[in-house]
Amino acid sequence: MKIGLMFRDISTSLFQRPVTERYPYERKGTPNRLRGKLKWNLESCTGCGLCGLDCPANAIQVHVLDRKEKRFILEYHADRCTFCAQCVHSCRQGCIDLSNTDWELAALDGDVFRFIFGVQANVDEFLVGESSADTESPTSE
Amino acid sequence: MESSITMDILDKIFTLLIFPGGLFLLILGLAYEWVDRKLLAQLQNRIGPRWFQPLADVIKLLAKEEVIPEGVNPWLFIGLPIIALAGSLTAALYTPLVGLPPSHSFPGDLIVTVYLLSLLTLCMGLAGSNTLDRFSLMGATRTLTQLFSYEAPFMLSLLGPAIVVGSWRIADITSYTENHWLLLSQPIGFLVALIGLIGKLEMPPLDAPEAETEIVAGAMTEYSGRGYALFRLAKGAELVVGLTLVASFYMGGMANPLLFLLKTLLLLLVMVGLQTLITRLRIDQTVGLWWRYGTLLVLVQWLGMIIWKGVAS
Amino acid sequence: MESKRQDERFIIPIGPQHPALKEPAHFRITVDGEIITNAVVRLGYAHRGIEKATESRNWVQNIYLVERICGICSHIHATAYCLGVERLAGVEVPPRAQTLRVLVAELERIHSHLLWLGVAAHEAGFDTLFMYSWRDRETVMDLLENVSGNRVNYSVNLLGGVKIDIDNQISDTIREGLAFLEERTLHYLDVVSNDMAFLQRTRGIGVLTRSQADVLGCVGPVARASNVPRDVRVEAPYGAYQQYPVNIVLVEKGDLEARFIVRLKELLESYRIIREILDTLPPGELTTRMPRRIKEGETISRVEAPRGELFYFIKSNGTDTPERVKVRTPTICNMLSVLKLAVGHQLADLPMILAGIDPCFSCNDRVAIIDHRRKSPEIWTWQDLRQYGIEYYNGHSR
Repeated sequence: MKIGLMFRDISTSLFQRPVTERYPYERKGTPNRLRGKLKWNLESCTGCGLCGLDCPANAIQVHVLDRKEKRFILEYHADRCTFCAQCVHSCRQGCIDLSNTDWELAALDGDVFRFIFGVQANVDEFLVGESSADTESPTSE
Repeated sequence: MESSITMDILDKIFTLLIFPGGLFLLILGLAYEWVDRKLLAQLQNRIGPRWFQPLADVIKLLAKEEVIPEGVNPWLFIGLPIIALAGSLTAALYTPLVGLPPSHSFPGDLIVTVYLLSLLTLCMGLAGSNTLDRFSLMGATRTLTQLFSYEAPFMLSLLGPAIVVGSWRIADITSYTENHWLLLSQPIGFLVALIGLIGKLEMPPLDAPEAETEIVAGAMTEYSGRGYALFRLAKGAELVVGLTLVASFYMGGMANPLLFLLKTLLLLLVMVGLQTLITRLRIDQTVGLWWRYGTLLVLVQWLGMIIWKGVAS
Repeated sequence: MESKRQDERFIIPIGPQHPALKEPAHFRITVDGEIITNAVVRLGYAHRGIEKATESRNWVQNIYLVERICGICSHIHATAYCLGVERLAGVEVPPRAQTLRVLVAELERIHSHLLWLGVAAHEAGFDTLFMYSWRDRETVMDLLENVSGNRVNYSVNLLGGVKIDIDNQISDTIREGLAFLEERTLHYLDVVSNDMAFLQRTRGIGVLTRSQADVLGCVGPVARASNVPRDVRVEAPYGAYQQYPVNIVLVEKGDLEARFIVRLKELLESYRIIREILDTLPPGELTTRMPRRIKEGETISRVEAPRGELFYFIKSNGTDTPERVKVRTPTICNMLSVLKLAVGHQLADLPMILAGIDPCFSCNDRVAIIDHRRKSPEIWTWQDLRQYGIEYYNGHSR
C-alpha cells in the first residue's frame, strides 16, 4: 500500500514555471486551420446563396443587386456565426474562407458585428437602399 | 506613578489591538493564507492568486449585504463570528508570536491557549446548528465530531514538551526548546501534533466538515458578508497561532522574527505538501483513523519519555 | 415543505445548484445521520427543445444543431446523425472519410475520459489529480485544434464525408502528443490503483453486480466495469471500426475503482487505435455528393459515445427538413443505477457514485409524456404545454 504517489509530480512542479499561458501578455501562435472571422473573395461569386441557406445560425445573407452584372453583397453577422465552416464547403466556387489570425472578436457594442462585403459602389448602393427603406416605414419592428 | 500606570494600560491596549495581537495578527493571517494558496498552486503547476487576494476577499465580503436567514436566532447569528474572532485573537497573546516572548503569561496558559483555539471550532459548530439549512446541520455535525476526535491527540502531543520541561507555561517551554530540538527526541509527538493541527484547522485532507462537493460549505453555508469575513479572519489567525505553537514547541523555539518566519513557513510547506498528496477522507475515516491511532501514538511517546526520564534521574 | 425534520430523517437536496454537479439536476436524498435511505431524481433543467428545433432546419443545418447537444460528445452526435442520414439517402461515404471520422472520435474519447478523470478526482477531494489531468487534457485539445480548427465542437462532419484531411506534419504532431499522453495515463493508472487514501474512497464503494447492471440496462464503461460486455463498436461496428477492430475492456469488480480502471484502460486502447489509423490511412476522397432532399424512410443509428451507447432515430418525409429526430443518450440509461446504488452508502460517497457514471445532464433531457387521460398523446402544441404548466403549478401551489 503506497501513499502520496503524486509526489514526483509536485516536487518537480515546485521548481518549474507554471504551465499557465499568461494571456494577453503571452500569446501562443494559432494553428493553420483555426476557424476565425469570415473572409469573402467576391470575384468568383455567382450569387447562388447556398452559403446563406446552409448556415445553421442565419449569419450570412446574400443580396443580389443585379444578377446579370454579377453585383452581389454579402451581409455577415459575426455575432450569430458559430464558425462551423459549413459555408466554406457549401460554396462550389470556394469564395469563402475563415481567417486563422482574426479571432479576437469581442466588443462592447453590438453594432460592430455586422459586416457588409462587396465592391464599394455596390455597398453604398445597398446601404442607401436600406436606409431609405427604414425611413419609409419608421414604425416597423 | 499615574503616568506609568497609564503607560502600562496604553501599552497593553497597543499589544492587544495593534501589535503583536489584533491588527498585525489579522494581516499576518491574511499573508499566511496567501502563502498557503500560492504554494498549493505552485505544487499543482499553476499560477496562484496575487499577493493582495485574501485582503481583497475580506474587503469584498465586508462590502456585501449580510443575509440573515429565517428561523435563526439573530443574536447568535451575528455574535458567533465575533466570539470566534475574539477567541483566536486572544489565544495569540500567550504564544511567542513573531519571535518575541509572549506578551502575557501565567502558569497553565498552555491549556487556556488550546481551548481558546477550539472556541473557534465550537463557534462554527454552533453557527451551523443555528440554522434550518440541511447542509449547515450536516456540516455542524461533522465539525463537532472532528473537534472531539482531534482535540485529544493534539492536546496530548502539546503536553509532551510540557512534561519534559515540567511546566505548563508556554514561556517556560519555549525558552527550553530554544536550546533543544524536540523534533529529534520526540518524533512521534511531532507527527501527532502536525496531523492534529491539520485536523484542527480543517485543512485538506481532513476537511470533511467543509467538503465543497458534498455539503456546499458545511457550517458556514448560510453566512455571507460580514459574518463570513470574520470567520475567515479568525481562521487565518488560527492558522498563524497553530503554526507558532507547533513550530516553537518542536522545531527549536523562536528566538527572533527571522527564525519565526523561516520555521513557520517550513512547517506550512510540509502541510501544503500533505494537502496536495492525499485525498479528502470521509468523516468516519478521519475519526476512526485518528481517534484510535493518534491517541495510541501519543501515549506510546509519553511512555517513552517517562521511562527515559526515570532512567536518566 | 420538505424542510421539516421527519423523525430522524432529513431530506437533503443535491441540486439544481450544487458544487458537486457541473450541470443542473435535482436529487432528493433522504438521510439518516450520514447514511442515505432513499434517492429520487428529477431531471429536465437543461431541456432546450433541440429535437423540435431540428424539424424546422434543413438537413445540413441540423448537423451543427445536433452537435451542440453536448460539448464533450459533440462529434459523436454529429457522426450518428450523418450515418443515419447517409443510410437514408443510400450514399456510400469514401473510406478515407470514414477513417478520419473514427480518428476524431477516438481523440474525442481521449478528451472526454481525461476530463472525467479530473472531475471525479475533484469530487473525491483529490484536487491535485484534477489539476494534472486537466493540464494533460490541454495536449489533446491542442491536437484537435490542429486537426479541425476548434477545441470544442470540432465540426468535421459533412453530410457525405468530412471537411478536413491530415498530412504527415499533423500526423507527426499527433504521434508526439500521444506519446506524452500515454506516459501520463500509465502514471494515473498507477495512482488510481495504488494510492491508499484514494482507494479508501473508491474500493468497495458503489458495487454494481453483473446481474444488476443487466437488469438496470447500464451501458458504456459503467456496464463494462461490472463485466457486462456491451460496446457498440464491438457488437455492431459502424464506419471504419470494421477495419480497425476494438478490443473490449472488461473489469470484474464493479465498484468505483473498476470504473476508473476501465476508462483509463480505454484510453490506452484509443491510443493504440489512433496509431494504427495513422499508419494505415487509406487514400481517397473526402466527400461524396449528397442530394439536398433525402428520400422518405426511417432509420436508426447506434454509436459508442464516450459515455455509452448513443441511439438516433431519424425519419424523413422526402423534403429538405427532417420529420423527426429522436435522440437517446447513454446517461439516461445509467441514471437509475445511481439511485439504486446510493441507498445504504454514506452521503460523502454520493458525489463519487454520481461522478462514476460520468453524467452529462445536458445530453439527457428528453420529454416523454405519459398521460392516460388524453386520447392521442403524440402531438402537444405550445398551448397544450402552457396549459399543463398552469394546471400543474396551481395544483401544487406553495
